Amino acid sequence: MIGFILKRLAWMAITLWVVFTASFFLMRAVPGGPLDQERALAPEIEQNLKQRYHLDEPIYRQYLRELGNVARLDLGYSFRLADFRVGEIIAQGFPISASLGIVALGFALSLGLVAGIVSAVRRQTLIDFSLMLLATVGIALPNFVIAGIMIILFVFLVPVFPAAGWGTLRHLILPGFCLGAPFAAYVARLTRTGMLDVLSQDYIRTAYAKGLATRTVILRHALKGAMLPVVSFLGPAIAGILTGSLVVEQIFAIPGLGAHFIQAATGRDYTLAMGLVLIYTTLLYTMNMLVDISYTYLDPRVKLE
Amino acid sequence: MHLGGEMLLEVENLKVQFKTDDGLVRAVDGVSFAVAPGETLGIVGESGSGKSVTNLAVMGLVPQPPGRVVDGKARFHGDDLLRMGRRQLAAIRGHRIAMIFQDPMTSLNPFLTVAQQMTEVTRLHLRHSHREALRHAIEMLDRVGIPSPDHRVFDYPHQLSGGMRQRVMIAMALACKPEVLIADEPTTALDVTIQAQILELMKKLQQEEGTAVILITHDLGVIAGTCRRVVVMYAGRFVEEAPCEELFRRPQHPYTLGLLQSIPRLDEAAGTALTPIEGQPPDLIHLPPGCAFRPRCRFAVEQCARRRPPLEGEAGHRKACFVDVV
Repeated sequence: MIGFILKRLAWMAITLWVVFTASFFLMRAVPGGPLDQERALAPEIEQNLKQRYHLDEPIYRQYLRELGNVARLDLGYSFRLADFRVGEIIAQGFPISASLGIVALGFALSLGLVAGIVSAVRRQTLIDFSLMLLATVGIALPNFVIAGIMIILFVFLVPVFPAAGWGTLRHLILPGFCLGAPFAAYVARLTRTGMLDVLSQDYIRTAYAKGLATRTVILRHALKGAMLPVVSFLGPAIAGILTGSLVVEQIFAIPGLGAHFIQAATGRDYTLAMGLVLIYTTLLYTMNMLVDISYTYLDPRVKLE
Repeated sequence: MHLGGEMLLEVENLKVQFKTDDGLVRAVDGVSFAVAPGETLGIVGESGSGKSVTNLAVMGLVPQPPGRVVDGKARFHGDDLLRMGRRQLAAIRGHRIAMIFQDPMTSLNPFLTVAQQMTEVTRLHLRHSHREALRHAIEMLDRVGIPSPDHRVFDYPHQLSGGMRQRVMIAMALACKPEVLIADEPTTALDVTIQAQILELMKKLQQEEGTAVILITHDLGVIAGTCRRVVVMYAGRFVEEAPCEELFRRPQHPYTLGLLQSIPRLDEAAGTALTPIEGQPPDLIHLPPGCAFRPRCRFAVEQCARRRPPLEGEAGHRKACFVDVV
């Protein structure tokens, strides 16, 4: 196990370097730069700024300098939010996006698993059709539409939740649900498929032949196997859900990371964009590693090499 | 047909159908049999003849939909299993009627240890505590010949060989001392040497416990060594029923005869052509009128196409055929 984790961490370092390199050159290959504004700067000022940010150096020098900084976990100052270090911006936004993400994940798993299991057990019935229709709607409807509906229902018609803002647990519920809804729909469909697959196995027939009640068969004999595809999906999904969503965070006025992803890219904020890309890569890689480890707990036949 | 009070399980006119996209499949079409305490009944037939479905239906294990038990009774101690509530039936399954399935590779749950799968049966039906159940499981594993059972009990199925897994299945099925054991092709997926061991084991345990066994197989060799009475199934119906020796010595139905003649013999010269049953297995959706075996039958006469021959004959040996093939 420890050997497996160390090996994976070594690969992660290599992956991070590749991602860093690709992002570095791609960002600089795109027209425009962090110093471009609507009004052209005076040439002297531009020269000074370039010097301040080392943008006047040849590109390989810039690359090596930044690689060195990143390797020492120093992401530098943001170009556009010049008073803040990139680390500070992430440290501020990530916990907010992550707590919203955890609530969303809670919704996604609880709703998705229950709906998926019920659908599979009651397959080809009205319940199954309705739940799967709902799941398709959940996948098809964009976040902002769900958010609109939720705000009309739970802010105006039945005023139980605040419309927007941040600070208390009640602020988390509506955006958490909106962010989690499409994931819940995916989880429901995956659970249903996985469950149907497992329920057709011989060992489920054996379980029934032993006189076990349906609930025992489902929860004890079928669920673990049915969870495998869901767990695979959850790795990348958690990485995405924890790093925030532009749409949901904008609608509910939540100061998370979501907006930074877009603004850093459109504003050519080289350092902030790089910081976010590396955070996301780290998270994605860690989640996939956790998925692989959790597989060994779910399925005794799986061995980590 | 013995319809006395001494019968343990009596199945009467059982009919099971499956709805498929191509049409209605009459998988089991009016089958009746009875099993006395402690006896072994063999059910032989080719794949798709309905022998497994018959017994799954008795246990309420036919997947519905697409399957449906349309008619019949299955009396166990007088109570009809087919009309029993789910809980009542569950209390009998695995406790008083147990099953062993064909493929031990897929019939055990790969996600649970042998201990977990074995103890849950006795904890449910015999109200064993966790420790009692575990001790009982180890004892059963020992009886079916698994070496160092106190360690093996914590193995997962993938850590055991095929023969070992089938032994575990048998131990699990017999854990509650059932009155009837339904063994659905218990040796088909195993090597020949292991087959013999498993059959021996089943025979030994049956004698010790007095369990009635319904042995389903397509292998006449398996039947010969183990059963007292045999029924032969074709296209969802019984075509012959006889005491075991009788059936091998004096088969009365052309299909049984064909089955026996198609077995390769050791005393034949090498290279002698096998004697197959001509034609294709029946299409259960479009069965011919009259006898289902007629298109493949060497003895067919004119009335075979018009009327379905009933299963009749002297006591103990009955056949569903108009022709005397003996």
